[in-house]
Amino acid sequence: MLKLTGISKGFTGVQALSSINFDVRAGEIHALIGENGAGKSTTIKIIAGAFKPDAGQVEFDGKEVHWSRPADAKAAGIHVVYQEFVLFPHLTVAENIFLGHERRGAFGLIDHARTRKDAAALLQKLGVDIDPDKLVSELTVADQQMVEISKALVHKVKLLILDEPTAVISGREADLLFARLSALKAQGVAIVYVSHRLEEIFQIADRVTVFKDGQHVITADIGGVKRNRLISYMVGRDLRDIFPAKRKAPPSDKIVLKAENISVNGRVRNAGIELRAGEITALSGMVGAGRTELAMGIFGGLPISSGSIMIDGERMDRMTPALAIKKGVGFVTEDRKRQGLAMQLDVAANISAADLSSVTSRGLIDRQRENGIARQEIDTYRIACRGPATPVATMSGGNQQKVVVARWARTGGKVLILDEPTRGVDVGAKTEIYRIMRGLADKGIAILMISSELPEVVGMADKVVVMREGLISGELEGAGITEETILSLATQHPTQEVK
Amino acid sequence: MSTLVSAGMARSIRKNQGVIIVFALLVALLVFGAVISDRFRTTNNVLNILEQSTGLALVSLGQTLTILTGGIDLSVGSTISLLSTLTSGLINGDASMIAPVIVGILLLGLVIGLINGLLIIWLKVHPLIVTLGTGTVLQGLVLLYSLGPAGKVPKGFTFLAYGKFLGIPLGAIFVVVIFALVGLFITYFRLGRYIYAVGDDDAGARLMGLPRAKVILTVYGFCGFCCALTAIYLTARFGVGQPYTGLNYTLTSITPVVVGGTLLSGGKGGVLGTLLGVYLISLLNNVLNFMDISTHYQLIAQGLIVIAAVSIYVEKRKRI
Amino acid sequence: MVDLSHAKSAELTGPTAGIAGRLAPYALPIFLVLMIIVAGIISPAFLSANNISNMLLQAAPLGIVVIGQAFVIILRGLDLSVSSVMATAAVIATGFSGQNADVVPILLIAVGIGVATGLVNGLLVTKRSVSPFLATLATMIVLQGIRFAYTQGAPSGNVPPFFRTLGSATWYGIPYNLMLLVVLGVIFWILLAKSRFGREVYITGGNPTTARLLGINADRVTIIGYIISGGLAAIAGLVLSGYVGIVDNWVGRGFELDSIVAAVMGGISLAGGRGGIVGGLFGAAVLIVVFNAVLLFGLPVQFQIIIKGIVIVAAAAFYVRRTQ
Repeated sequence: MLKLTGISKGFTGVQALSSINFDVRAGEIHALIGENGAGKSTTIKIIAGAFKPDAGQVEFDGKEVHWSRPADAKAAGIHVVYQEFVLFPHLTVAENIFLGHERRGAFGLIDHARTRKDAAALLQKLGVDIDPDKLVSELTVADQQMVEISKALVHKVKLLILDEPTAVISGREADLLFARLSALKAQGVAIVYVSHRLEEIFQIADRVTVFKDGQHVITADIGGVKRNRLISYMVGRDLRDIFPAKRKAPPSDKIVLKAENISVNGRVRNAGIELRAGEITALSGMVGAGRTELAMGIFGGLPISSGSIMIDGERMDRMTPALAIKKGVGFVTEDRKRQGLAMQLDVAANISAADLSSVTSRGLIDRQRENGIARQEIDTYRIACRGPATPVATMSGGNQQKVVVARWARTGGKVLILDEPTRGVDVGAKTEIYRIMRGLADKGIAILMISSELPEVVGMADKVVVMREGLISGELEGAGITEETILSLATQHPTQEVK
Repeated sequence: MSTLVSAGMARSIRKNQGVIIVFALLVALLVFGAVISDRFRTTNNVLNILEQSTGLALVSLGQTLTILTGGIDLSVGSTISLLSTLTSGLINGDASMIAPVIVGILLLGLVIGLINGLLIIWLKVHPLIVTLGTGTVLQGLVLLYSLGPAGKVPKGFTFLAYGKFLGIPLGAIFVVVIFALVGLFITYFRLGRYIYAVGDDDAGARLMGLPRAKVILTVYGFCGFCCALTAIYLTARFGVGQPYTGLNYTLTSITPVVVGGTLLSGGKGGVLGTLLGVYLISLLNNVLNFMDISTHYQLIAQGLIVIAAVSIYVEKRKRI
Repeated sequence: MVDLSHAKSAELTGPTAGIAGRLAPYALPIFLVLMIIVAGIISPAFLSANNISNMLLQAAPLGIVVIGQAFVIILRGLDLSVSSVMATAAVIATGFSGQNADVVPILLIAVGIGVATGLVNGLLVTKRSVSPFLATLATMIVLQGIRFAYTQGAPSGNVPPFFRTLGSATWYGIPYNLMLLVVLGVIFWILLAKSRFGREVYITGGNPTTARLLGINADRVTIIGYIISGGLAAIAGLVLSGYVGIVDNWVGRGFELDSIVAAVMGGISLAGGRGGIVGGLFGAAVLIVVFNAVLLFGLPVQFQIIIKGIVIVAAAAFYVRRTQ
């Protein structure tokens, strides 16, 4: 169905793709994997018509094509579901689904009633219960994902590309998605599936292709490869231990942070959590369970409607980020580009950002001191960049994440909260971040890790707290931590409230 | 079932928040005016208000669309000045020139708008800056044409502004009709819906392959056309056009749009809100006149109304 | 919602090959110098001491306003109220007295008005989430109303000789108001580019959410930004009144848009988080030189206006090219 031959694409100073080959057959699910910066994103954009290749050929449905805009590719039957949705927050679900293909009635006027009905039917086919009249801005992230995916079903699609579709959904919703994809496969649709989650790839893909540094490494049938081989292809080296050894010493008695009866604006109800020095606690649960909200409530980023927080025995009456930071709590946010990094500044400025006092003397910033600190951290965390003055916008996801972690780690904190610390980070950098986290824990810092990746939770956590629909549904420790036990706690109780 | 209905109602209220608020304010003001003065309640006064609001209404209509796309047109004032001066200058008392000049001016307005649109698309510069630039150039051009009032219009021409049909000023009727047409367009036509999409998420619209260029050209072209309508109307009203006719209209064309609930960032709002906003402002000026408050305080009041209105439309700011 | 930054940042990085890449950040000063040279060739009178003095005198008030505007724009806002602040501050402050003895109270009243306006603007933008365009537009209108109500349309104050000297006199050819601009420029440059507050300004302007999560009081930083803009506008109003010599209801008319244009030309992006005072001042210089040159070439004043419009669009287009 699709065949890329000898495709190359470069941007100023960076060669994103070097003469890659890639093909997808009708009726197959072809997984595309590789580290960040390997060229997957660029390839997708070329297939979608958003970029034009510098060299090489693109063949679709047997014919050579030269698309200049996304509209052309779309018209040809290609649909892309991007990781970051293309949804319009102020339009309704129905309008979003049918944007560009509105149902028309008399005189060519748009028939809103029919649009709504057809949207409802589509959503039902996908097995989701979303009101087509709701504004997209009112939906949860998981529901938005479903809307995004249902857009693909509107058209007679020949090639469907999914970019990290399960980054924000899991469990039941992911299974529904896979079922849908199988159904599409049976209809002869060609599917390209990009994901960092190797378990899923083994679950649904027929073939897998690995990219590395803009080059094609290997394409193989899924039955013929093992997980570790794939990882080593991606990284270029053999990785036996992704996760560092867990805590050796027995749990310390020192409770550094204790939150009780926390409620956050309808998203979290009466949740309590205890963090101990030197311990990595994972906060697990389905997307939408309220984990980020609970963590943000503790940090002061979201207002809490009830509950109390004690840091090192000291009771806090009000929480704001500034106070939290002063008391030694750091927060590595889920979305580093929109909530974590000052994207227009350099590494040094970002590292000092949570603790400006340390680089300020007499009201002025001491650039020398700042750069010196940055160099130290670059060294400690092996951040790949050209120096303290490197703009963070030019760095890869993994290195950006390291900058953020470095920033918080040096505030002399007692608690570090990390929300999806390895999202959008390639395998190589992931391992380093895990080691960093364990290293910080060994120094006595209490770590709270929010994660949707079960292997990550099982591999890293000393203790797991599971949330379900805003409540704490259980805690697990030691040998009790397995993917099954976590999942069962995360999905156990029936919904108590229609949200 | 009842929860669904009330949820639907809640959503309608949220979607049309602006319109409802303006309407409420409008009613409140009407009541207030009726109470404080007898003359206020006369049909004559009401007709007066309708008449006076025509100019502002026409240009605000065009501005509504540009703002809905997330942009803005700061050249409207100069465009109105230019077109109004040209109108009276070219007609120059000759009744036979009326028809061709009107057609020409309407076309010229459209062309100016299209040029704005083209520059915005080609140069990829923010509409605020582009239209600021073109507006400045246009102001210079009109001053080249004439430093003061130009030409004059024959008697018959003023009919456009003062004529009545069944007792209602022509202008007011025209305004309602054209607002309704545009309202229909943005609700029931694809290109109209795309206006909202582009305003909501421009990059997304581009990625989805929506005809962004068509949308921008349509919107700015129409805005230019609206300027032409306004210019013709104002020339008919004052009997002559001059290089500063439109001076105040640039910024005051934005007020009704915003007060009517359209977001300055685009993607949300509509023409009904703008129309109500126009009436609200005209009504406000009228009431203040009856209260014998000088025009200076009217300005203050207008500014305060803007502040009040937009403060209420606070988009629920999610703390993180 | 869609993030294409991966592609964009790739375009920005890498060693910028060639002379063009290396010179880009200095584009504006180079353009300025070139323009001055060209103007000087076409009309030698352009480079006369008298003319240069003239230009500097005109540039100073605009420059002072631009400094304030820079803070606001970097904080992702705009301040349309500056022209009204200039006029209202000048009118009300000099309305009390035209004596030199009262210079200090006059200054205090003027700056007070500017600061109060800035405070209102800042509060509207932060606490009520009003768009800066609208908030400052509204305060601009309100101030206008106040000013006209106060003067009943006919301003009746006198500009104290102190300000007249400050605004229009020179010391060995260097205008006093230029010296004031330099002093203010240096002070606020240190504040923006070198101080902790300035760092907070950039972080907040780049992304207020990020700033809050770092413990920075984004609201307070923003409000201070608007206060700085208001205060400086008030000072500029007094200086400009000094230059003009009389008290006028329309002092500073057009400065709100001119200062924004100067800032944008100087590389201060409307999206926030980028740019600096030096760039803004160069932008102001370019604007003044263009006006002046046009006039000196014997072109009628209308062309001044037309060229201004073209420069606005061209400069903005240039900056967009650079970051695409």
